[in-house]
Amino acid sequence: MRVRAPSRAAASLCAVLLAVTACTSAGGQGDGDGLSVVATTEILADLVRNVGGDRVRVDSLVPPGGDPHSYEPTPADAKKVAAADVTFTNHLLLEEQRLIKAIDANAREGTPNVSLAEASETYGAHVIPLVENVGLDVLWLGLRVRGDGKQRGATRTSEVRLTATAVEGPGELVAYLTESLGKPVVYFDSGDGLSDVDSTTLPPAAHTHLNWAFTAPGTYRLTLRASLVNGGDEMPLGQSTFTFAVGVDPTGIAKTVLDEGHTDLTVDLDTGELYTFNDRAGGTTQEVVPAAEAVIEVPNKAITTVPDDARFAFLGSGGTSVHQLPQAVLGKHVHGEIDPHLWQDVRNGRAYAELIRDTLRTADPAGAADYDRNARDYLTRLDELDEQVRDTVAAVPRHRRHLVTTHDGFGYFASAYDMTVAGFVVPNPAQEPSVEDVRKLTETIRNLGVPAVFMEPNLAQRGSVLTQVARDQGVQVCLLYGDSFDERTRDYADMMRHNAEEIARCLA
Amino acid sequence: MPRLIRVLLAAAAALLLVPPAAHADAPVVIADGHVDLGPRLVDSRWTLQIRDDTGDGPVWREPADVVLQVADVAKTTVPDDPAYAFLGTPGTDVWVLPQVQDQRLVWPGWNTQDPSIAEVVGREVDWRLHGVEGPGRFELFLTGNFGAPETIFSSERPYPQETGVEAGTHVHGNWVFTAPGAYSLDVEMATVDGHADRATLRVHVGPGDPATAFTTEPSVPPSGATPAQPAGPSWVWIAVGGVLVAGAVAAFVLRRARRGTDD
Repeated sequence: MRVRAPSRAAASLCAVLLAVTACTSAGGQGDGDGLSVVATTEILADLVRNVGGDRVRVDSLVPPGGDPHSYEPTPADAKKVAAADVTFTNHLLLEEQRLIKAIDANAREGTPNVSLAEASETYGAHVIPLVENVGLDVLWLGLRVRGDGKQRGATRTSEVRLTATAVEGPGELVAYLTESLGKPVVYFDSGDGLSDVDSTTLPPAAHTHLNWAFTAPGTYRLTLRASLVNGGDEMPLGQSTFTFAVGVDPTGIAKTVLDEGHTDLTVDLDTGELYTFNDRAGGTTQEVVPAAEAVIEVPNKAITTVPDDARFAFLGSGGTSVHQLPQAVLGKHVHGEIDPHLWQDVRNGRAYAELIRDTLRTADPAGAADYDRNARDYLTRLDELDEQVRDTVAAVPRHRRHLVTTHDGFGYFASAYDMTVAGFVVPNPAQEPSVEDVRKLTETIRNLGVPAVFMEPNLAQRGSVLTQVARDQGVQVCLLYGDSFDERTRDYADMMRHNAEEIARCLA
Repeated sequence: MPRLIRVLLAAAAALLLVPPAAHADAPVVIADGHVDLGPRLVDSRWTLQIRDDTGDGPVWREPADVVLQVADVAKTTVPDDPAYAFLGTPGTDVWVLPQVQDQRLVWPGWNTQDPSIAEVVGREVDWRLHGVEGPGRFELFLTGNFGAPETIFSSERPYPQETGVEAGTHVHGNWVFTAPGAYSLDVEMATVDGHADRATLRVHVGPGDPATAFTTEPSVPPSGATPAQPAGPSWVWIAVGGVLVAGAVAAFVLRRARRGTDD
């Protein structure tokens, strides 16, 4: 998490809405051959063309095959913007900052200058917060005691003892807490054998969070036994075995996959049972899932490197990698920022088209009927496209629906069409991968046994790392369109259709 | 078990001075157990309150009615670790309320889980710190994987400071104070579409009478950030004279006028 100046996002949204409403007389001032529209990318330009039809002339600033994340504007771009009746951008984090600045500085006063990503939320677009730290974008796993246990004689001074009695798995499991000022305290560690020291006591109504580290990928089973300590007496409660899918696909291991939000391995003082107690992301209700019906996912994005620090030697030597669910997950998102690649969900493309329609109507009221008719036709086609993409992806078995890509541009696709983003080389294509990034990518491909990874055509030069890793691992390199078209695919619908078919072909 | 010290209002004084429709609960000093700062809708108004889980069931309280007491057992020293240099010189005293519960201490967190806000909250709540008044520094941070601290708020940084709390979440962090005494934290929780409320979170650190924190004024007087509805002076006396259950110590209780901002 990053502390930032207050509400820039809100301010820019207001600016957009003001601009749209304050420009009703801006239309019709063009040079006679229609409304002049400038969009930053070819994808946005295609949406505008479909809604605007013959009444608009559309230019995109980022050239065919260009990367909006790195494209820098030219003086000719500034002239185009200055001559435009309407300008469309996607969102600051997609386009290079200088490109956004060039548009904001050159757009004529009174002409609509619309940032589609944020403004389309009011048209029902589904928006995903921008992930800053993928290692934190995982399940938050803790321990909890529920119930008052009065019928067992529990009081507020009682304690619940939780002991790890068995760990099965390909490596070691260590649950530990890093205290406020950096000192680790181990709760359970299967690395040196399990004994009475692999236990902890919790007071009634306690709730705590731990780091859960695993030294090798695979399926683990952890058996926890609980007892109630009243003064000198210790009374057995239940025991349960919890299952973890570490770096491997959790599908089919148990009925319910716990992979997001907040889960506690919970001792119920009233029933004596141990189960998982879950807050789904964003929800206000909690649900119990029995230990035998739940699998806790520890995905490959949870791979982290053991520091070269003697205090953490119980995890292995410095530099080795472990899968770890962290004790604190706050900070996984950049406050107030969103993932800009909204169009990868066709329903969001639909919201963009509706916002474009209303913007064009405002800028050119005489064309309102045309824009309405064009939009109606286009929205119908997009609804069909959405169905088609969904059906195509659904043909791939769930346990194979893992995306490994060049950059983090497919979160919306995965969310809309029930896939998992298993990994990417770097979050933003303008970044260079580190040695650790490459190792994490390699382990991800190997652990999941994915048959293919996906390259974006406009990032082919930057995709050499992905190609190399794919070759080393003996997996296929396929092609997904992310932020731009190429010479073969020239419109949004073709691009989305290609992506779905490519995924089906390469992962089936 | 929590040592919840209730400050009982002298009834006569309260009756004279408490405005009509004020909260019914008496001011409390909370020294252990779980509390959260969080927004909820009270009579359809977005209101920043403190959820108090230290009794038999949860109770939401007005921030002005609560002092969080940081007991002296929270005292520790800054470690000799460059990652914690932001807390001061190694070896100097600091008072820490840890991210993970210590039964001897109050355990303050923050949450956006009250069902009343589910419909209005959007993706996240903006949480702002407008100022800190107190004898020492204040730091709020999270301890990550391998002990790397991540600062949320710091009295060493310019105000206002802002962070985000995702909808439907409940989080705890490390609250650190570098000197004993009474502190007031001027905090606000808001949504991007205009729901906002600002209040003073009162904390007393170390030895001494925690009730003195009821009268500590915020460093930055509340102003203009949100549309206020000042009905009379911005500070209203609600009670004079109180009785500590433990000690019969008189306490002044000051209540800042609430500033509702939505609708």
